[in-house]
Amino acid sequence: MPSTAMRWLPPVVLALLQACAMGGEQSGLAIYRTHCQRCHGEGGKGTPGVPQPLAGDLSVAQLARSIDETMPEDDPKKVVGDDARRVAEYIHASFYSAIARDRNRPAREELSRLTVRQFENAIADLVGSFRGRGPGIDDRRGLRAEYFHRRDFNRERGLVYEQVDPVIDFDFGIEGPDPERFEPNRFAIRWTGSIVPPETGVYEFVVRSGHGVKLRLNDEPPDRPLIDAWVKSGDTIEHRGTRRLLGGRAYPLTLEFSKANQGVDDKKHEPPAHASIQLLWKPPHGVLEVVPSHRLIPQRAPPTFVISTPFPPDDRSIGYERGSAVSKEWFAAATAAAMETADHVLGRLEQLAGANRDAPDRREKLRAFATNFVERASRRPLDAAAKQVYLERPFAAAPDADTGLERAILLCLSSPRFLFREPAGPSDGFATAARLSFGLWDSIPDPPLLEAAAKGCLATSDEIRRQAERMIADRRTRSKLRDFLFGWLRVDHGPELVKDATLFSEFSPALAAELRSSLELFLEDALWRDGGDWRRLFLDDEVPVNGRIAALYGLSLPFDAGFRRVRLDDGRRAGVLTHPYMMSVLAYSGATSPIHRGVFLARNVLGNVLKPPQEAVAPLSADLHPLLSTRERVELQTSGVACQTCHTMINPLGFSLEEFDAIGRHRTSELLGETKKPVDASGSYQPREGDEATFRGARELAAYLVGSRDAQEAFVQSLFHAVVKQPVRAWGPEALATLRAGFEAGSFDIRRLLVDIMVMAAVPPPGSVP
Amino acid sequence: MILRRDFLRSLGATAALRPFIGNLPSLSASSAGPKKRLVIVFSPDGVVRNAFWPATPGAFRTPGPVCVPALPPILEPLAAFQDRLLVLKGVHNKILGDGDRHMRGIGCLLTGIELFPGNVQGGSDTPAGWASGRSIDQEIRGFLQANPATASRFGSLEFGVLVPNHADTWTRMVYAGPNRPITPIDDPYQMFQKLYGRQKGRESMQSVLDELSEDLAKLAAALPAEDRRLLDEHAALVRDFEKELSSHREEVRHALPVLEQGVVEQNDQMPRISRMQIELLVASLAGDFARVATLQYTNAVGQPRMKWLGIEEGQHDLSHEPNSNASAQEKLTKINAWYAGEVAHLARRLAETPEPGGDGSLLDHTTILWTNELGEGKSHSHEDIPFVLVGGGLGFRTGRSLHLPGVSHNRLLLSLAHAMGHTGLGRFGNPDYCGDGPLALT
Repeated sequence: MPSTAMRWLPPVVLALLQACAMGGEQSGLAIYRTHCQRCHGEGGKGTPGVPQPLAGDLSVAQLARSIDETMPEDDPKKVVGDDARRVAEYIHASFYSAIARDRNRPAREELSRLTVRQFENAIADLVGSFRGRGPGIDDRRGLRAEYFHRRDFNRERGLVYEQVDPVIDFDFGIEGPDPERFEPNRFAIRWTGSIVPPETGVYEFVVRSGHGVKLRLNDEPPDRPLIDAWVKSGDTIEHRGTRRLLGGRAYPLTLEFSKANQGVDDKKHEPPAHASIQLLWKPPHGVLEVVPSHRLIPQRAPPTFVISTPFPPDDRSIGYERGSAVSKEWFAAATAAAMETADHVLGRLEQLAGANRDAPDRREKLRAFATNFVERASRRPLDAAAKQVYLERPFAAAPDADTGLERAILLCLSSPRFLFREPAGPSDGFATAARLSFGLWDSIPDPPLLEAAAKGCLATSDEIRRQAERMIADRRTRSKLRDFLFGWLRVDHGPELVKDATLFSEFSPALAAELRSSLELFLEDALWRDGGDWRRLFLDDEVPVNGRIAALYGLSLPFDAGFRRVRLDDGRRAGVLTHPYMMSVLAYSGATSPIHRGVFLARNVLGNVLKPPQEAVAPLSADLHPLLSTRERVELQTSGVACQTCHTMINPLGFSLEEFDAIGRHRTSELLGETKKPVDASGSYQPREGDEATFRGARELAAYLVGSRDAQEAFVQSLFHAVVKQPVRAWGPEALATLRAGFEAGSFDIRRLLVDIMVMAAVPPPGSVP
Repeated sequence: MILRRDFLRSLGATAALRPFIGNLPSLSASSAGPKKRLVIVFSPDGVVRNAFWPATPGAFRTPGPVCVPALPPILEPLAAFQDRLLVLKGVHNKILGDGDRHMRGIGCLLTGIELFPGNVQGGSDTPAGWASGRSIDQEIRGFLQANPATASRFGSLEFGVLVPNHADTWTRMVYAGPNRPITPIDDPYQMFQKLYGRQKGRESMQSVLDELSEDLAKLAAALPAEDRRLLDEHAALVRDFEKELSSHREEVRHALPVLEQGVVEQNDQMPRISRMQIELLVASLAGDFARVATLQYTNAVGQPRMKWLGIEEGQHDLSHEPNSNASAQEKLTKINAWYAGEVAHLARRLAETPEPGGDGSLLDHTTILWTNELGEGKSHSHEDIPFVLVGGGLGFRTGRSLHLPGVSHNRLLLSLAHAMGHTGLGRFGNPDYCGDGPLALT
């Protein structure tokens, strides 16, 4: 039986190892079996005669020398020289070294701290739980607009009409919105609703107007709007402000505009003037643009507290963020964030705790607030002892109730009950609730979950499933899945896209941002509009396209047309595989990169482990080989034996996408010097089990992938790890196969897979509870 | 509600400060010489001229047994400080341009430059926006902060008392630059948070670490060995943090001022809020948080109703009454005397507080400048803008009333900068009004 580690080696590597073994020399494993195993046992586990496991910290060379000189004990001459080296390599890599021992350790669910994302979301929801629920998800987009024929926003005396405006981008001319109903210098407009940013990061907002404007966004001191240009002063017309926002939430927004002067009502000094207003933003990986309609909703969300304390990034060394270690920097950040949160709460006790500054029962109200705060943060009711520590003592020792509350908050937010996943209490309904909420939302349980836990209604798989299904209809789940998919596609960091200006003069940073939005919309549609079928990610031949994208990809749409789904290139498109953004990212500035595309397919889509190249290699310049096609050049470059172990897998996968150029336009030929050469898009893949598959072009590749067990398993495993942040093997050797089978049985509905994962991971792995 | 005269116990800034002084290099005498501080106090709507201006220029007190007559009624509360008092008459705000006189009165008061055209319409004149330049306090702040020997934690602090909650030309006096008004903090709790929030947070944090360690140990004991490691590491970080906190040399060397709780921002609370702000201001000067500060009572066109003086009408309404209305004049005199009383209280608190690391009191090293957006309310005059200086920070010759021949107030702004050491400043605001440069006041 190959070991787990061997199981993940590319078949080519296995084949090479076998080939070596057949070449007359014995493999390390064979030598071990012959000469060592009788004393050291299988896998170095030891025997009754030599009970010590074979483990240590010698290097391969040291180990080889030791074996050469001393082993086997009865006749050290039996294993010497190359044999000693080979067996040392085998022992070292398989079970002797610390790394090998760690790898061989059975997977288990480990105690972990909140990831940065979980910390931020938990704080937002903890504070938000005292503010009421936000709006649900529906199809309404744009902002509610109230138009007034006055200088102010008095609805009774001045409201002319209300409507929903999809975007804020108006030129009212000199006459105003409607000369019949408004004086040209006497109108005011108020837009309200919420903004739903796609991802976490810093957003810059810009309001352009030559008149009085004020933008409030998720704004908590009400006297400090994000942009306050209500006083027009000088000729400034562009007003800026930035806010950090967490993805997957709606933030309340109010934009006010008034053409008239303020202060004393005197029309004498209001000459005719041109009026306009635009609301723009620059998202974290985007360019400055009018805030698109699909990021605006007319309903109003309560504000969300977003901490500004920066954290060190989480460990992502095994492909997903996890809270596997604590550090001084992390602790300092967590402490600073706790203090920031306490400041925020203490400054808003009127709205959060209903406790006015001069309320006679302020102390009681703050005590009650503290109890709720600590229990929600701890995800379970406190027992008597914990109540003493977290509530009684901080309040008793403080000079006043406000200080008592501050201390209770600081203690609670620095406590492992908040910071760690779940260190306290039995594995009961409350633990299940927390597993569900951190799994689906990266946050603390909401009141319905806690209620279900308290009532004992989170005991059976069906009960857990019902909760998980409820929880999926939430922006936080959407955000988590969106970020997962961006990570799965390796574009989560927002790669900088620069293309050769002579070859692709129409390509610009703005277009790259549009393409990213197109991919985002494609994924949103696939998940939430079109049934969540994983296969559609590969098979869908439609691409969301707007006017600017259309021009470059051979469609005719009005230049300012908004996004719509279009079947591009006569059905030759294959979902994410050929999405122009993906194809542009997985390419050089002037040429395609079959290697990048192949590595992406082999690793991310098919779940293979690839080692980095043995030496750094610069790509061969096309100029040196003007008559070679890209495919031929890559074959030439990777023809060395050392390269071939991996590139026999990488190249044929990448070649199958050669019909899409460096900005993702479809092509059938490649221009080499003066001549056009037809593109060869034939490719192949040797799966981990079964026969080699061959395909030609993206559509055939897509058709193969949706039926590929490797691809299915890789997707299930990636999603499990991203969501649960624990190794899937901890839930048993069959866990992955079980989930994959369920995925297939459920018509590959990603949302259902997510529920299945949560039903599995909402309880501890079997046998792990002490 | 309990009304106490003693709104605020200041545990520290005075007595408790002394033991720490020696430890703090920036507080001990340095090569920069003695510290100089400037506090600008604003009150609105002009004054009652004949109750405000001393009848004749010259010293308030002549040597020998004979004293000059008592100070005018409005200045009477400052009698205890008349040796350190300098009253400047004949300084005009000559800035013209857009905006009504209240707007230009406050917006050009410390900037010495015109307002931008804009959309704020006053009762007369054309509409205006913000001031087109920075204010003198911010100019001085920039100068002091650029030199490590004179830099302080905040550089400047902007206090307010009942400043209305809308930002417009009438409510903003301090400007970081053109179009960049600075909002004064008129909530003492918010100011406390700015000054001491971090310190208080640290103290609160420190006070809970024992509980935290106790719970950590308890939770760790219940975990399997593989998982206990992480909590043990966490516990070690808590212990390190505790050590760090207890050895931390915080910028705050005095015990935190204790604010009376439960004071809400309402007209009737103005006296309490004023005293709370003054206490925070004195403490922050003592702690060298700032060398420059402003304290803005309400706003231009301010409308406080000083019921605690038995006055029901709003101040601005009263200021529009004809000067022949003796009752209104009397009320306005009482109102302005109340502001003078607050200035005197500030001076008294500064005089009671020893200069950290130096000789004398804070007042010996601080000058208070009390001013207004108008010379007189009824006429909205920009002539004879009230400028009353108290204290020894700027080294001006005090104990006198000086009558100047209608000089532009830009020249006074230059004098403030020069006296604070910013002698390289040749012009300030609109250069056309800087005439012969700073006024000779020493």
